[in-house]
Amino acid sequence: MLNALGRRRRMVLGCGSVVVFVGAWEIAFSTVVRWDPFFITKPSLIAAAFREQILGGKLWKDMAVSGEAFLAGFALAVVVGIPVGAVMGWRRRAEYALDPLLTALYASPLIALAPLLIITMGVGIVAKAVLVFLLAVFPFIFNTFAGVRCTDPLLINVVRAFGGRERDLYLKVILPGVVPYIVAGARLAIGRGLIGILVGEFYAASEGLGFAISRFGDTYRLPEMFTGILVLAVVAVGLTGAVRKLEAMVAPWRAGQQER
Amino acid sequence: MDYIVANDLTVTFRPANRNPLTALAGFGLRVARGEFVSLVGPSGCGKSTFLNVVLGLLRADAGEIRIDGRAIAGPSPDRAMVFQEFGLLPWRTVLGNVELGLELKGVAPAARQRRAAELIDLVGLRGFERHYPHELSGGMKQRVGLARALATDPNVLLMDEPFASLDAQTRDLMQAELLQIWDQSKKTVLFVTHSIEEAAYLSDRVVVVSARPGRHKAEIPVRLPRPRDYEMRLSPEFNDLKLAIWTALKEELTATRT
Repeated sequence: MLNALGRRRRMVLGCGSVVVFVGAWEIAFSTVVRWDPFFITKPSLIAAAFREQILGGKLWKDMAVSGEAFLAGFALAVVVGIPVGAVMGWRRRAEYALDPLLTALYASPLIALAPLLIITMGVGIVAKAVLVFLLAVFPFIFNTFAGVRCTDPLLINVVRAFGGRERDLYLKVILPGVVPYIVAGARLAIGRGLIGILVGEFYAASEGLGFAISRFGDTYRLPEMFTGILVLAVVAVGLTGAVRKLEAMVAPWRAGQQER
Repeated sequence: MDYIVANDLTVTFRPANRNPLTALAGFGLRVARGEFVSLVGPSGCGKSTFLNVVLGLLRADAGEIRIDGRAIAGPSPDRAMVFQEFGLLPWRTVLGNVELGLELKGVAPAARQRRAAELIDLVGLRGFERHYPHELSGGMKQRVGLARALATDPNVLLMDEPFASLDAQTRDLMQAELLQIWDQSKKTVLFVTHSIEEAAYLSDRVVVVSARPGRHKAEIPVRLPRPRDYEMRLSPEFNDLKLAIWTALKEELTATRT
């Protein structure tokens, strides 16, 4: 039975393996393994650095700076991506015109444009937000497109049969049908957007989480660097988890179809 | 005898990049008020197309069709369809689905929820108002479809192979329930099916439609008493009926194969 284990049990198992992994790392590096602090570190040192960063305040500032740029780029991706995807879904001509171009861009490692963006727009929130936008917009475009295309023609007929006019078709069939696709797109866009903010800050920034990570790496302050990575991982998991919850709320009828 | 009158109906589909397809050619039918008429015929013969014309979703290219003397101008709360694949909106609860027709008609929320609840009770789904379609079995989904169709109290009920997606037992059950519900309301029913047995069991009259393009080929009146019960299906009269329907249908089935 796939659902045999309750939520609590699953959480315990999941956390358990993390604990075992961290524990083994710590024990091995404290006793048996000889390691060079330039190249690796161990959990207890990371924990200490973590504590220091949280209490010291720099961590929060960095998160705020990165967060601001991320949100700006992400919001733009939503506002541009959804309508473009919708138009592509509605009008075949738009699809034929835009699909090859957008697919090519989606597949390209746009992250490689990061240095170029920094050169043209300077170090700061604008360049970072643009990079986030470039990476996050595509899942919104393609998912909205898919959502509109996947509208069940039977349901269109049903609503028309019961007296629905054009407006009713949009509000009662197309829109509710598209929402789960858009939210799934958001989940993908978050992952890609976070990469954008991170790499953007690697290249040239004076503040922010990605900047902190790369600076600590460059100066061989590994525990601090891992702290940054850890924080980013937690944020990523938190955001994706929140969107998954949103997906489940927004599309309860798909809950039975997917396990994740 | 003249509540629904179809005369010489022709419907041709013209899909892009394909040859035109004439679904109905010169199709005629007269249905009396309160009559239960089944349409049987080979696949693709136009039975569903006819239903869609009566519903108002399709326009005939030639011929005329009138209900109670009036031409059909599009869908109306007066005619409702029960679909073979159920067609329930997955993002709405059972209640939300049943009240769809009333909602589109402009009925106020309190009134339409009350009416929807009545119908949900009528089809035996009391307690399931807040369930979603994906949580229901096939039979339950079709009951929702039936409740939805009855919600606006239409005079004409159009049923397009409504029980085809259900297993045999559920199908028998639903047939009996349909007859019960129909007995109380005496709506005019047009019922499309592939099952001769189902057609004979439910109807006052079985119309055999020819192979594509569909024409009115034959009619077999069903003179069994009402209310119908399951044992009637085992009687010799019933067998004669099925034979008569089959004889008319048989030619059309082989015709399609060529």
